[in-house]
Amino acid sequence: MTVAEFGKAVKNLKGKRTPLTIKQKREARWGFFFLSPWMIGFLLFYLLPMIASFAFSLTKFNPAVPDETVYIGFTNWIRAIFRDKEVLLSFTRTIHFAAISLPVGLIFALFLAILLNSENVIGKTIYRTLFYMPSMIPLVATVLIWNGVLNEHTGWINILIERFTGIQATGTDGIRWLADPQLVYYAYTMFGLWGVGNAMIIFLAAVQGVPTELYEAAEIDGASWFRRLFSITLPLITPVIFYQLVLGVIGSLQYFLAPFVLNQGTGFPEGKTRFYMVYFYKQSFSFFNMGYGATLAWLMFIVALIITIFLFGTAKYWVYYATEEK
Amino acid sequence: MRKLLYVISILIVASMLFTACSPAVQEEVEEAAEEIAEEVVEEVEEPEEVEEPSGDVVEIRWFVGLGAGSDAGTFEAQQAVVDGFNATHDDIELILEIVDNEVAYDTLATQIAAGNAPDIVGPVGVRGRDTFYGAWLDLQPLIESTGYDLSDFDPALVDFYNIEGQGQLGIPFASYPSFMIFNKDLFDEAGAAYPPAAYGEPYVWADGTEAEWNMDTLKELSMFMTVDASGNDATMEEFDPANIVQFGFQNQWTDPRGIGTFFGAGSFLEDDGVTAQIPEEWQAAWKWTYDGWWTDWFIPNGPYGGAEFLQHGGGPFGSGNLAMVHIHTWYAAPWALDGSFVFDFAATPSYNGTVTSKMHADTFGIPKGTDNPEEAFTVLAYLLSPEIAPQLLTIYGAQPARLSLQEGYLDTYSETNFPGMDLNWDVVVASTAYADNPNHEAWMPSFLETTDRYNEFWNYLANTPDLDVDAEIEALREDLQGIFDAYFEANP
Repeated sequence: MTVAEFGKAVKNLKGKRTPLTIKQKREARWGFFFLSPWMIGFLLFYLLPMIASFAFSLTKFNPAVPDETVYIGFTNWIRAIFRDKEVLLSFTRTIHFAAISLPVGLIFALFLAILLNSENVIGKTIYRTLFYMPSMIPLVATVLIWNGVLNEHTGWINILIERFTGIQATGTDGIRWLADPQLVYYAYTMFGLWGVGNAMIIFLAAVQGVPTELYEAAEIDGASWFRRLFSITLPLITPVIFYQLVLGVIGSLQYFLAPFVLNQGTGFPEGKTRFYMVYFYKQSFSFFNMGYGATLAWLMFIVALIITIFLFGTAKYWVYYATEEK
Repeated sequence: MRKLLYVISILIVASMLFTACSPAVQEEVEEAAEEIAEEVVEEVEEPEEVEEPSGDVVEIRWFVGLGAGSDAGTFEAQQAVVDGFNATHDDIELILEIVDNEVAYDTLATQIAAGNAPDIVGPVGVRGRDTFYGAWLDLQPLIESTGYDLSDFDPALVDFYNIEGQGQLGIPFASYPSFMIFNKDLFDEAGAAYPPAAYGEPYVWADGTEAEWNMDTLKELSMFMTVDASGNDATMEEFDPANIVQFGFQNQWTDPRGIGTFFGAGSFLEDDGVTAQIPEEWQAAWKWTYDGWWTDWFIPNGPYGGAEFLQHGGGPFGSGNLAMVHIHTWYAAPWALDGSFVFDFAATPSYNGTVTSKMHADTFGIPKGTDNPEEAFTVLAYLLSPEIAPQLLTIYGAQPARLSLQEGYLDTYSETNFPGMDLNWDVVVASTAYADNPNHEAWMPSFLETTDRYNEFWNYLANTPDLDVDAEIEALREDLQGIFDAYFEANP
């Protein structure tokens, strides 16, 4: 591209557009044609429900008596933001849990990826498969399995702790992983570690994509393993870390299944597991306050959006794109 | 480019969130509930082909799942009732829809909201009915237009279903009084006398002394029947509460309202209809239970709830390691009491001289959303008829509401389900006279939210020793008042 052509292209972007040629128009039409399934799907299954959801948030809507649905303006919004203390409490619980589970999950997945990328590990394919396999188990089954594993009376974790440390871990005075408010988030984090297979695979791909010549050069310069990790590996995979972080934050805000499977969303113990989405579910589908539930969904959307925009805002300070022009 | 990136990010976030906040969550939840229950929403086999009727056939969908009838063992018998109906009615085709109890409430709400309400729902108890407060059809016009004969029912029971502002929401079908069931084997082993077989009788201790059959006596007896791994009972100083292997008593499978009613009937609502209260009898019952969990040790507390020796399909009592239980007639069935030990029925103890036997009652309701109320009522009348009702009652383990069916019914039921066992059904029948009024499952403002709150309170007590129970009760009352206030603000 010559300087003149580049200037024209920039002008096209910024100012008036030159008319498309017949060929370009045909290409554009085909482009839209191929995009249309996604666009139609988005309109029908996301945008319309979003609009409907907002409309519901302005109503008192009980699905058991749909005939009695009435428009109530922003009453639901006022209740959620100013009056319902459980909204803030459940959101705080969610953030508290995310603050524990998210770093642990990301670091564990990265640790496994780095381990499986090591030349010193024999049978990497087998380990890779083994570590990935739990991700294929439905989450409900995973939670139920862990419920058994962490049972204070018969769970093997408590039995092992008792056997090897002599601490009374089993029985009614034992370690109550799922019933002790101080321990329950750590127990739930353990469930999550079973599902790190996907994150591990993505990290592994990223780690394998780091140019080996950088390591070779660093080794010649006498860099230690840790030095290579912190100065080469981690900076070069920051785009993937960022991607995992964004997905992890959104996933944490939506955390729902484990507390629901284990205690039907009662919040046991002491309300600690009544996370935001659990509360949203209870209001919408247990209490049948569908209008209020829609409000809670919108609130979460707004909060998640702000957090995501914030994360994108920080990206320029710590995410390194090798192809990006500074 | 950066703007485009932001727009795409926003769309992705929105998509993900609204996927979570949409029926997909519901599906996930239903899937979860199904896995917990290890029972998928049951698709009942289509009825066998019946002779093709002439003219228009109205399809009537019968929804089962809010109460009894969603256990696998009942499907075939209910389908037989449906087949019998279809074989004798050319103008109506009855379709049975059985939904697992775990997901039945959500399923029904979704159907109603989607304008796809079933035509008849039941058996449904007070709790199920009030969960769908305002969704039921007033049957009075249909009763009058069809000349339905109500003379075979106790008028008080008919009135039980007449709800102010909503009308006659049901016709009595079945009742399930509560009473004591005790494990005879454990009593024999301990050398203790059985609990009283009739109301008004005292409890006779092993040494021959008599005591009024009240909550104090029950507590003392229960402590005696609670045993640790070394064989010490809970009345002994050497008793080790960390190693209990047998408990004395439990109010099994009920909630704080049910447990409160064990001491006396009451309501969370004061007579003014807007103020939250905790009846004195309920406070006493809760403290008695709390002490039973944490200081007297005769009731399994939260930590013991997961103990292996109490696990059974019939709950802790079914395990054979619980001496006494207070529960309803629906429990007196082979699925719960599988014959692994000998049991019998006994009288409910009194509190301050008054006996209260909480009552469950079932009926069939017709949702307002039905397109065919007349045909639905025809089906309802068929299910309640003296010819068909006994079949269903046997399936559900219920006592008939029809006066003409009551005599001899329990004998037949007993012979069918517990052949060869000599059971004290007289005390079961007698328990009906002590039914709770107001009923412990009666409507409250924001029914489900209120239920959720007091269950959370109860879980906290069951799992936390050394609490100031009075303070917790007051905190509960304040929270309930907040829920009630919000309800009345939205529904002036």
